Amino acid sequence: MGEEADFDVIIIGCGMAGMACAAQLLKEGVEGDRILVVDRGEPVGAKNMSGGILWGRELDELDDIFPNWEMDNPGIERYINNKKIGFLSSDDAFIMEGKFASWDGIGGTVEPSMRTGWSVLRARTDAWFAEKLEEAGVFIMPGIKIDQLNIEGLDHTSYTARDLTDPAEDSGRGKAQKWKISNFDPEIVDAVRNGKIRGIVQDGEVMTSNVVVIAEGSNSVLTRSYAFDSMLHAQDRHGIILGVKEVIHLGEEEINSRFGCYSGDEERPPSGMAMEAALAIFDDMAEKAWEEYPVTAGLVPRAGGWLYTNKDTLSIGVVIQLDSLPSGIHTYDMLAAYKAHPAIAPLIRGGETVEYGAHLVPEYGLDRMPTRLVRDGAVVIGDAAGLVYSNGAVIQGQNYSIHSGKLAAKVIANCIESGDFSEKALKQYKKDLDASYVMRDLRRFKTTAKFLADDANYTWVPKFMGTMFNRVVREIGEEKITVEKQVLKLRKQMRRKDRKTKKGMGLLNLIRLGLMGRKL
Amino acid sequence: MTEKTKIGLFEYDVKNGLGLIGYNVDDHEHAHIIVDTKKCGDCDSMMCVWGCPAQCYQFRDVGLDEMKFQYEDCVECGTCFLMCTDGALSWNHPRGGFGITYTYG
Repeated sequence: MGEEADFDVIIIGCGMAGMACAAQLLKEGVEGDRILVVDRGEPVGAKNMSGGILWGRELDELDDIFPNWEMDNPGIERYINNKKIGFLSSDDAFIMEGKFASWDGIGGTVEPSMRTGWSVLRARTDAWFAEKLEEAGVFIMPGIKIDQLNIEGLDHTSYTARDLTDPAEDSGRGKAQKWKISNFDPEIVDAVRNGKIRGIVQDGEVMTSNVVVIAEGSNSVLTRSYAFDSMLHAQDRHGIILGVKEVIHLGEEEINSRFGCYSGDEERPPSGMAMEAALAIFDDMAEKAWEEYPVTAGLVPRAGGWLYTNKDTLSIGVVIQLDSLPSGIHTYDMLAAYKAHPAIAPLIRGGETVEYGAHLVPEYGLDRMPTRLVRDGAVVIGDAAGLVYSNGAVIQGQNYSIHSGKLAAKVIANCIESGDFSEKALKQYKKDLDASYVMRDLRRFKTTAKFLADDANYTWVPKFMGTMFNRVVREIGEEKITVEKQVLKLRKQMRRKDRKTKKGMGLLNLIRLGLMGRKL
Repeated sequence: MTEKTKIGLFEYDVKNGLGLIGYNVDDHEHAHIIVDTKKCGDCDSMMCVWGCPAQCYQFRDVGLDEMKFQYEDCVECGTCFLMCTDGALSWNHPRGGFGITYTYG
């Protein structure tokens, strides 16, 4: 290898993945002053957002760098011991609730007693992580956006960042995008796609490193620019979810009483509630939209809603599968509809909105995940690698990000020792990731992406659940019938109502849904 | 904005929500999203308009004949880049130190 690089490792992005990677590198014995972490946000965390619940105790392994993280990190709000899963239709809400003694880490006798989920506010958590990394000697540079990667033997002035992501003039409409760069000199194109990455370019200045870790998050420009097989392409919105979120201030006492939460003590943060729901509440909006914009008529918006308790605020929002959004419905109006739902409105009543925001969630599923996570001198981790899993009842991503960051760090530390930073050597990261619970989860639950993209879950299923429960538990002077009869009766009624439900609730379709659903 | 004729039973006052985010807007010369609005003319789905959570795109939904784009309110989510079917969009993150600042996240 030629002259020594400025850094051993440059990590782009200081979110869950990036910070975990830096912390693990320190643990592996890499010197802090050989690690540089750059982040777009100033301060670090200013651009970061999650739903957000952090599941899993991934941070425990890093507690020599992040000591007492559960209590000291100002963005770790409440631990979750109350989980709800809901089905909301325009008329009814059917919400299942679990409250678990073992989830508070002290109670419980049968199940392992452990706190495993926390509501988080990422602008705060990540600022604290960055601060701790800095204390441990890592270089942190906030407010820095990386335009280009430094490629060995390629003059970075021969192309611009925009050339990599801009559509070409001769790009066809509605087809896969052809990039401006593809019309360049083939040598440049080949270097950009396959050359050896050795550091970053920032504002025309080159900073070299042996390895670049791309931890840019869900909306990663560098992975789509540098041919990491990112799925985030123009004109392709399948498998991508948009989260639109509000943070609503209610006050700690009010949240405790409204949601039945405990105050914290010396060992534990306050307790909290996490609710996710499948939404079939946009019928009227959709019908109006279809009428006005026939171009997307019949497209059912597939969306879910969430509500999480923070210390003195609530995180509320909707996630919308972007390929299901019809013309005529603004994403933020869907948030308004969710907030106004009779089951949700009283929970947020009297609260003052203190923040609004939106973020992409790369919920590709296994089939569409980026496959090229490693190049000569670079690896991709976290959201940028599409490591998000959801089956409706569980949605995880931040713990996967942390885990992938740690795995990458271990491999990179070995590479530093051996001095070999080739794609072949770094590929060990991909192998480790494949063998880890992250990819095992994603593989095992392969069908869930398909299940979650099924219209049924956003149309008749929530309605059916709500109405069913309504009928089973009510007393309005009618003769009672068994649940089985009730189910058959309701199915018959719903099928009669409109053709769409008729088809959706056909026997074959029910079996298909059941077969997918049992693999959740 | 009194002239708006919005679809839907719910109208979210998105500009009020955006007012709660910290912005440091870069000058026009360094706009992070560039839209070639000439390409928007015969687009009938206008997915950027519906997808954008910050109402940066306004077009026939508010009765305009021409696409009106402004990058200043952008929350940097990247939705429009995925939504546009006409290759009219050039997307990059704002320069370091510019754009939004979340305080909760």
